[in-house]
Amino acid sequence: MSQAIDINVHHMTRVEGHGNIVIKADSGAIQKIEWQVPEAPRFFEAMVRGRSWMDLQTITSRICGICSISHSLTSVKATEDAMGIQTSEQTHKLRLLTHFAEQLQSHSLHVGYLVAPDLLGVKSVVPLVASHPDVVKTIIRIHRVANEWSDLLGGRTTHPVTIVPGGHLTPFNENDLRELKKTIEETTVPDHKALAGVILSVADKLPDFDRPTEYISLSCPEYYSFYDGDIVSTDTDEKVPVQEFERVANEYVSPQSTAKFARWHRDSYAVGALARFNNNAEQLLPLAAATANKLGLEKGCCNPYMNNVAQVIECVQVCEHALKLLDELLSAGLKPEKPDVTVKAGTGVGCVEAPRGILFHKYTIDEKGNCVEANCCIPTNQNHANIQKDFEALVPKYMDRGQDELRLLLEMNVRSYDPCISCSAHYLDVKFV
Amino acid sequence: MLPKNMNDIVVIGLGNPLLSDEGVGVHLVRNLSTLGQCGPGVDFFDLGTAGARILHAIAGRKKAVFIDCAFMDKDPGTIRRFTPDDVRSEKKLPRMSLHEGDLMQFIELSRRLGECPDEVVIFGIQPEDLSMGEALSAALADRMDEYVEMIAAEFR
Repeated sequence: MSQAIDINVHHMTRVEGHGNIVIKADSGAIQKIEWQVPEAPRFFEAMVRGRSWMDLQTITSRICGICSISHSLTSVKATEDAMGIQTSEQTHKLRLLTHFAEQLQSHSLHVGYLVAPDLLGVKSVVPLVASHPDVVKTIIRIHRVANEWSDLLGGRTTHPVTIVPGGHLTPFNENDLRELKKTIEETTVPDHKALAGVILSVADKLPDFDRPTEYISLSCPEYYSFYDGDIVSTDTDEKVPVQEFERVANEYVSPQSTAKFARWHRDSYAVGALARFNNNAEQLLPLAAATANKLGLEKGCCNPYMNNVAQVIECVQVCEHALKLLDELLSAGLKPEKPDVTVKAGTGVGCVEAPRGILFHKYTIDEKGNCVEANCCIPTNQNHANIQKDFEALVPKYMDRGQDELRLLLEMNVRSYDPCISCSAHYLDVKFV
Repeated sequence: MLPKNMNDIVVIGLGNPLLSDEGVGVHLVRNLSTLGQCGPGVDFFDLGTAGARILHAIAGRKKAVFIDCAFMDKDPGTIRRFTPDDVRSEKKLPRMSLHEGDLMQFIELSRRLGECPDEVVIFGIQPEDLSMGEALSAALADRMDEYVEMIAAEFR
């Protein structure tokens, strides 16, 4: 093993020191293995201090364009917990339905746009249009339905406006919900069968790499949870109320990295689709369970690359669960609701499963209804230590395959977690030609 | 598909309004949609940082107009109107996250899918300040009326 390895991958060229992969080794001796991680969007916490309870969802939904529904739901749940606000069964069902749209949007996009090119041997989704047109069209169709689904339930394309403390506004009618149901049944479910088939055909391209770790997620007795219940772990039978999340997400400083890591029972833990699957797989609905079976994913899997397979299974799960919710909503009849809120001082925690893992907001609200303290604990920060530990196991195992293959494996590892960086668009960086 | 009443022209504001000038596209699309300067036949979207949702918002339209803060190596506050063929993207995307995006790549993908409007116009505005805050810098705030006038001329 005489090869020199020198890998330095910069995640965002405009954001200094964020999301870099740095590996140095010579003659088989490893000198550096670093996942240099993006800082959390903690500045948003400062931004909500002093703001009215009515503004908190609007502000925090802008933390992230991909997870804006999850941030919105977490925010209103924290506000409701702090001020003792109750919500109706209809609101609960509409929120689940809205949240499922985001899971479908994010997972289909992640698997289709970022992971599929790796597995199909191209550099990005753009050349995939020529090499695998049917795959791209299937992905676009799924994503488009998810997009229209969140438009309908969220009241706009992104950064939703229907999710408010105390309720869920209904700028849609029962016919809209019937149309949505028909679209999911006739288009999205068959498309997922096709997508699962594609993933199965290239599953051997996913690295064979197991590293036992702790998996943390929400869990509730009633269903495979993205929204309700307590914090659970694969390392313990304890069920921790979400209000005690700071007992779980313990931050610490690691000499291997420049940012804070999180741990509970081990040096690191993982959150996201595989964590939810490992804690709650027996609650999958029949079609999702059959998809898991087809794709060979079993409870207890500790291959981080299989997070992407778990995402495909969850796409099926949210469609299946959505169809049940739509039936229930339609048979009960959709009723306009006016949120009933009385301002009250208090501290509260909101928690949901964002597509990439468990997300917490904690607010303290004063007697005037203004936020005086906020803490947002995002999934990506909770995954950073786990990525570092994956790297420390991956590099020695695959170092002899050469720099290019090692670099791809490390990039695929990061991609499998789909880390969330603070969403400033910066979509245009151009030179005139 | 779900029912959709779609106009031929779509105007899309991009960016994060919590990061000062980064949100100029969002501020402008809000102003344009509420000022009543534009007749019927135009849809306005504040897409924020919605990434690939751009693809769906432009699919099947005749004309798409984007407004975003842009690094163009110009003086802060400078507005430039250009088309995708006038520029080369300088962005480098390692594809590690959905939370990064390149408008030029989304437009290219839309073209390859055969869904892209025949006419795509981009208004780029050079930022001065990208720090935390909801207000635009003076370099941009003082020119908002000029920006609105210039962009509205696109579909009056």
